[in-house]
Amino acid sequence: MAELPDHLDLGRHRDVSFRGERVARWTVLGLLAAVAIVALLGVVGQTPRESSASVAAAELEVSSPKHVRGGLFFQGRFTVDAREPIENATLLLAPGWLENLNINTIEPAPAEEASRDGDLALSFGPLDPGERLVVYMQFQVNPTNVGRRSADVGLYDGDTEIVTIDRTLTVLP
Amino acid sequence: MDIVIRAFFAFLFVVVVTRVIGRRELSSLEPFDLILLIVLGDLIQQGVTQSDYSFTGLVLAGGTFTVLTVAVSFLVFRFRRMRPLFEPEPLILVDDGKVIDRNLRRERLTTEELAAEARLQQIASLSEVRWAVLESSGRISFIPR
Repeated sequence: MAELPDHLDLGRHRDVSFRGERVARWTVLGLLAAVAIVALLGVVGQTPRESSASVAAAELEVSSPKHVRGGLFFQGRFTVDAREPIENATLLLAPGWLENLNINTIEPAPAEEASRDGDLALSFGPLDPGERLVVYMQFQVNPTNVGRRSADVGLYDGDTEIVTIDRTLTVLP
Repeated sequence: MDIVIRAFFAFLFVVVVTRVIGRRELSSLEPFDLILLIVLGDLIQQGVTQSDYSFTGLVLAGGTFTVLTVAVSFLVFRFRRMRPLFEPEPLILVDDGKVIDRNLRRERLTTEELAAEARLQQIASLSEVRWAVLESSGRISFIPR
């Protein structure tokens, strides 16, 4: 009868308790499943989140993901519903909309673009009461752009603030 | 710098995933296991290099994986207590012709699969086996009576 092979021990290799390993394995599997479930809920990126703010003069709505990941394409949609005349509807975008993001397109193209204290000002001209302006911007995320940044959006009439939405954009690695 | 950091965390992820998947799946390479490994490899590559198609990126990511692999190998060699973190211990599956069911269950192995492995080594019956050991590599050693 063959003896127990060298370097094997019945206690360690036959009658071993698996409790610790089982707990560790199921914990890791549970974490991986939890991450997948959280992703299904749209927490880790790309699902558009809408924010809106309304004042007497206009309503501003922004639809865009608040979480994105490196390399992803995403869209920002900015809707302005004018209730009073606006001489020069201007969207003011915080640097989070620009920093290390490729802007593939802006439709419609703004009549004027300018930097205003580090923010990007896009001017679209006059809006009459009841008129709607919808601006689409298409982005792609630079993979090295990890972190959370301000992605505020302001609606201005020229230099006069009408309404501002506070948002952040988080880029996950 | 980012690619090295991503490679480091990808390596840790691979270590954890391979420990969770289990040694049998990694060594037996049944069709489904093979697909899993290929898909995992592709996903890991994308996550590490992302949009970097450069040779420099290859050197950075490949170099990081190589250094970490050697480092883990050295740690396991130098500090025996770390071994279970990276490599499973051998596990006895058959003792004197008797199949140890709880050890088989732990590795999600059936008696039929064990018998098939024995046949591959010209052993017709598990009753002829003195010891069967699932090695760290995932292969099964059979020592006849």
